[in-house]
Amino acid sequence: MNGAELVIKLLEMRGVEHIFGYPGGAIMPIYDALYQSKVKHYLCRHEQGGAFSAIGYARSSGKVGVCMATSGPGATNLITSLADALLDSVPLVAITGQVSQAVMGTDAFQEVDVLGLSLAVTKHSFMVKDVTELEHTLNEAFELAMSGRPGPVLVDIPKDVQLAEVQFKPRLVEDTETSQPEFLPAAALEQARLLIQNAKRPIAYIGGGVHMADAVAELHGFLAQSQMPSVTTLKAMGTVPPSNPYYLGMLGMHGTQAANLAVQQCDLLICLGARFDDRVTGKLAAFAPDAKVIHIDIDPAELHKLRRAECAMIGDLRQLLPAMSVPTHCQDWLKHCVSMKQQHGWRYDHPGERIFAPLMLKQLSERMPDNAVVCCDVGQHQMWVAQHMSFSHPRNHLSSGGLGTMGFGLPAAIGAQLARPKDTVLAVSGDGSFMMNVQELGTIKRFRLPVKIVIVDNQRLGMVKQWQELFFNERYSETDLSDNPDFVSLAAAFAIPGHSISRKDEVLPALEAMFTWPGPYLLHVRIDETDNVWPLVPPGAANQDMLTEKAQ
Amino acid sequence: MNHVLTIQTKNQPVVLERLLQVTRYRGFEVAGMEMKPLADFSGLLVTLSIVSDKPISLLTNQLNKLYDIEYLDCVESEQTQAKAGSMRA
Repeated sequence: MNGAELVIKLLEMRGVEHIFGYPGGAIMPIYDALYQSKVKHYLCRHEQGGAFSAIGYARSSGKVGVCMATSGPGATNLITSLADALLDSVPLVAITGQVSQAVMGTDAFQEVDVLGLSLAVTKHSFMVKDVTELEHTLNEAFELAMSGRPGPVLVDIPKDVQLAEVQFKPRLVEDTETSQPEFLPAAALEQARLLIQNAKRPIAYIGGGVHMADAVAELHGFLAQSQMPSVTTLKAMGTVPPSNPYYLGMLGMHGTQAANLAVQQCDLLICLGARFDDRVTGKLAAFAPDAKVIHIDIDPAELHKLRRAECAMIGDLRQLLPAMSVPTHCQDWLKHCVSMKQQHGWRYDHPGERIFAPLMLKQLSERMPDNAVVCCDVGQHQMWVAQHMSFSHPRNHLSSGGLGTMGFGLPAAIGAQLARPKDTVLAVSGDGSFMMNVQELGTIKRFRLPVKIVIVDNQRLGMVKQWQELFFNERYSETDLSDNPDFVSLAAAFAIPGHSISRKDEVLPALEAMFTWPGPYLLHVRIDETDNVWPLVPPGAANQDMLTEKAQ
Repeated sequence: MNHVLTIQTKNQPVVLERLLQVTRYRGFEVAGMEMKPLADFSGLLVTLSIVSDKPISLLTNQLNKLYDIEYLDCVESEQTQAKAGSMRA
């Protein structure tokens, strides 16, 4: 067997069923080995789309996503997606072909220094220089992608390595997941329990690390035992059931008023698998100013990085959360939080006939099937989805959080649909974001994937336009998209039916039509360009200083 | 504040670039660098002189995560100079 055949054999042995990619000269031996393989390859229409599909696959399933690309432009097209996976801690293995070692460094055709380019956007990257290293390197890549804080790993394989003959004696692929209990930090846990018991106004600040650690059940147990209010980051939406009376929603720049006010007022902030991102904290020096902090993360580099913690623990939340579960004594605080939640509840009584995106998304949320996956793009619609839709599990809400990558939603939905073929998958996009990876409609057509696409169209780059209105004296520089294509006709060119609506009374029948259609469908929703996302913490302000619609 | 980091790495391509990339990106300035292979060429021994007002743990925590780093130790430059001074005396 040659190196290329070894790559595919190893993917099969690791149980990889679906991969995403695009062929080219320097990766042709691997594509040749892929021909008639058990591994199902999904041809995307741009390498960035393929890698986002792998991310959607990984995030919706908990498995490692795998993507492939050729050298040069194929590899450079992966870079944005790798950065997205790095910032959102997504386990991803990217395999790139490289020109033969004989011509490396000569500016050969489609040669670029992929290893050098990968440094800033991967958890780790390998260049395989000898075919005898290939098996070990690929196994290492998969294990690294999943271990500790997950992330993207790139393996660059020169063409001569792909073609070199190799003896393959497969080693048993061991499950690296350890079930042995790790050493628990007894002193820190005791300190944490004391802090929780003595707190008058505790709150749990929950990040994506909780479900990445597969600790959602342990978190529910912790919240049930301790009876404290909770808030989540964008990536953790769905970690706490919306029915939890003390769950206050998302915090941060476009968080709920109750979540932000409660965090600002708390005296103990329990940060679980989150990282004090600037979109969460607002003005860092004024974030939760009266709070002591307990911070737990799998990544030691996150502890004390932006906020000093009184009690910091590195470790597995599945074990630490039960060990720090103690009752609290904060009934007045709970009542206060519930009161704030009621006082600052969302209003949907928007006047007029035009569609109000928050209400439309609430109606969408109420009518989508159980366990549906919603893949967002980036911008105003993304924040409205986080505010007005409900999720039963974080794997059901895929949103580009850390990198904030427009163009994420449609290809991520493709990956999610393949990972979870029995579940309904929605791509909720804005008119700007949708056009960033619109070519992936071709992938939906090819594989007849029943993805439901909802385009929230204000004919603007809405979030940028909102900031121009509020902070740049209404100077609307390059945010007008009023020459958008006819999205329904565009979908029709890919054999995807669709419908366009612009009035409130059209919403429910249109949702019904979309959900009853058995295949892919595009619903084009026209909204008013003057609608903005509220509340908003202005840049540089503390989180209690939110702007609201009424204040404008 | 000046710091000296002693780092042992695997002998892998781009390991030096990786060290320098993380150092720059995390906002630390390299004031000096020495590198030599280990006697058996299984790895590299790197000494990095770093200048920054930030806590050095913000850098060492990130460097320690790198797959190719096998050992890292940090010595503040003031202590290093004191040691050097006493040796000269």
